[in-house]
Amino acid sequence: MRRSPSAEAGAASATQRRAAGGRSGIGRLVPRLPILGDLHLGRRLGWVIPVLIVLVTAILGYNARAIDQQRGSALVVTIAARQRALVERYTKDVLVVVDGFQADPKESGAAVRQPVDVLLDGGSVRAPQGDGSRVQIPPARNWKVRRKLEQDRRLIDELIRTGDRVMDGGRADPGYAAGVTKLRVLSAQLSSVSNDAAQEITQQTEASLSRLVRIEIALGLLSALAALALGLLLRRAGAEQAAQFRSLVNNSSDLITVLAPDGTITYQSPSVERMLGRRAADLVGTALGDLVHPDDQHHVNISLTELVETPGATANLGCRLQHEDGSWRHVDSICTNLAYDPRVNGLVLNIRDVTEQAALRKSIGDLYHNLARRSQGLVDLQLELIEELKRGEVDPDRREELFRIDQLATRMRRNAENLIVLSGVEQRRRWSEPVPLRDVVKAALAEVKAYSRVQVAGIHDLTLSGQAVSDVAHLLAELVENATSFSPPNTTVQISGDPAGSGYVLEVEDRGIGMSDAEVVEANRRLAAPLAADIAVSRMMGFHVVGRLASRYGIKVQLRHSWFGGVSAQVLLPAVLFASAGERPAAAPSAPAGGVVSPDPLLPAEITGSGWRQRAYLPLRRHAAPAPNRGGDTDAPAEAGEPVE
Amino acid sequence: MAWTRARRRWAWALALMPAALALVVLLTVERRHEPAPLGTPVNVRLDDFHVRRDVAVVPAGPVSFLILNQGPTTHQLHVIRTDRAPDKLPLQRDGLTVNEDAPGLDHLGEAQGLDIDDRRTLVLRLAPGHYVMYCNLEGHYLGGMYAALTVR
Repeated sequence: MRRSPSAEAGAASATQRRAAGGRSGIGRLVPRLPILGDLHLGRRLGWVIPVLIVLVTAILGYNARAIDQQRGSALVVTIAARQRALVERYTKDVLVVVDGFQADPKESGAAVRQPVDVLLDGGSVRAPQGDGSRVQIPPARNWKVRRKLEQDRRLIDELIRTGDRVMDGGRADPGYAAGVTKLRVLSAQLSSVSNDAAQEITQQTEASLSRLVRIEIALGLLSALAALALGLLLRRAGAEQAAQFRSLVNNSSDLITVLAPDGTITYQSPSVERMLGRRAADLVGTALGDLVHPDDQHHVNISLTELVETPGATANLGCRLQHEDGSWRHVDSICTNLAYDPRVNGLVLNIRDVTEQAALRKSIGDLYHNLARRSQGLVDLQLELIEELKRGEVDPDRREELFRIDQLATRMRRNAENLIVLSGVEQRRRWSEPVPLRDVVKAALAEVKAYSRVQVAGIHDLTLSGQAVSDVAHLLAELVENATSFSPPNTTVQISGDPAGSGYVLEVEDRGIGMSDAEVVEANRRLAAPLAADIAVSRMMGFHVVGRLASRYGIKVQLRHSWFGGVSAQVLLPAVLFASAGERPAAAPSAPAGGVVSPDPLLPAEITGSGWRQRAYLPLRRHAAPAPNRGGDTDAPAEAGEPVE
Repeated sequence: MAWTRARRRWAWALALMPAALALVVLLTVERRHEPAPLGTPVNVRLDDFHVRRDVAVVPAGPVSFLILNQGPTTHQLHVIRTDRAPDKLPLQRDGLTVNEDAPGLDHLGEAQGLDIDDRRTLVLRLAPGHYVMYCNLEGHYLGGMYAALTVR
């Protein structure tokens, strides 16, 4: 029943593919913002958002460029205005040098020339802040500014040439007066031209600022329009989505129910009227438990209580809910704890009506059950016949053959019983008295083909409650069968027991080829939550049977890797399954009503009046040789009490 | 209401129309109107530092000075009636500009702030006499930016 290849294959989510695609053109350029992803607005906003981004980027970029330009322009205006002072200083330096005072007109002339050169050709000048830093000035691009600055430079050259002539000639030179006059005139012209250039630059700056403002206003208007369009689209899309969601909720065949942590219904989708014939408004404020079938209330309460304690957890829950007309509807629900989400603040139950599926499952189960019962009856008759043949047979070889046939029939009966278990019908056979646990183990071994490879050791002297005897033996038989089937014939399978805090642990350990981690996880999942009958169950029937049997009594079964390379199956029998000290073990049972008990526990069981045949140890007792290798446990297979129908 | 492709296109066109209108208004440049010349035209060309006119003598009456500043800097044009020689006009105390308030000078009109390539028309009704046209920015007159005009 294990190591079967897994038929499950991971399929790529079609939903994810649709989410990844579905946008074309410029929409693909839009960043996948979480909010847009949730609203599915990519198609609508595909071109609005890029436009908005471009506009905002243009505004920011233009602002940065304009600020940089204006900073340079302000500095240029300062430089041009300073020209006049430099020219006057140069003229004075020329005159004082002629009069014999110390001055350096050449340095003054260079100082006059340098700003014009920078303004015309570009370069760096000392920053006006006086912190020693230099500011890079780009070459003047405006043609008017350039013409005025070029004229400025020509006048400066002429000023310096005139100054040189005045200084060279001195006061004695006949042209001194004309030279000085020309110096003054040139100085005045330079002042005028410099002012003109500065004014031109100022006008250019003002024009640039004006242009900047206009462009800013235009871009701002466009951005406002784009933002308005974005807002309208968002609003429209949100409204559409809300309407779509309302329509889905209202028309869905499933129920959406939100429960407060105390179990009160805080929201109920309108489709409850179709499923349960009740108005949603009437249910809000009532307790969900009022609708749940009394037999289901316990496990519903347990499941919801566990869910409330784990934020974000999800659980599957099946139960019956009462229709307005009094009938019961079978439902499956997926419950999610969203109590931490302030928008929900409760448990969300997605409830689906599975009444028809439940009826179908029940009819299939009944079919299984009827077929299995028939098979079981036939096998029981076959076993009776074999038993009669064995009684009259004295030839040891023939008896040995009859024994094999007997064991095959026993295994066939277990298969029939497996079908009954899977059909969901409880075993009708019950033991009225407790049975020693050792005997239950032995009974399980009697139904296994390779029982001779099994070693039983360290089973404590405990008695199992009569009602669980048959199913626990069946459960153990499946596990032992599995262990012997998937381990080499020359290896042994160990059964041991040990008390645990909450019960008693039986361990079935083989030394076989083992299981992969994934297989162990899958097997444990099936053991913990056995599925309804389907094709997977047919492939791994043993695990499902074990899971079903275990779930009847709260038994926990878990597979682990064995230190010896195989698999260790650990069965935790809860303490409630063990008989109290005052109960008598079935080794010396009292005769239950309507039943026949074997007087000797070591004798084979007899056929009861109802046709049920004592299972287990009959072959072991008849044939000492195939008795299980029990290790430290030397007891012979024990008799058990009679089951009751 | 389903938004068809055409309906969306129209909606956007309507939404963008005010923006386009605002842009046009903001970017509209101020238009300049120049009056048609009256009377005798005198073409005056200004440059650094000269005043050139195409005629030296004009008949009395309305005279239109069609001024063009050829630069490379900003200039102005003053028209005065005086009997003084064009290069002997009285100066201000700074010795750099013409004293327009000095006796013997009759200031008739002026065109200020002529930028490079600016055209301006100055219309004056001139009686017979001697007139001088000059630029009175600092140093421009002294640099030779003046010209005489005779009206008969």
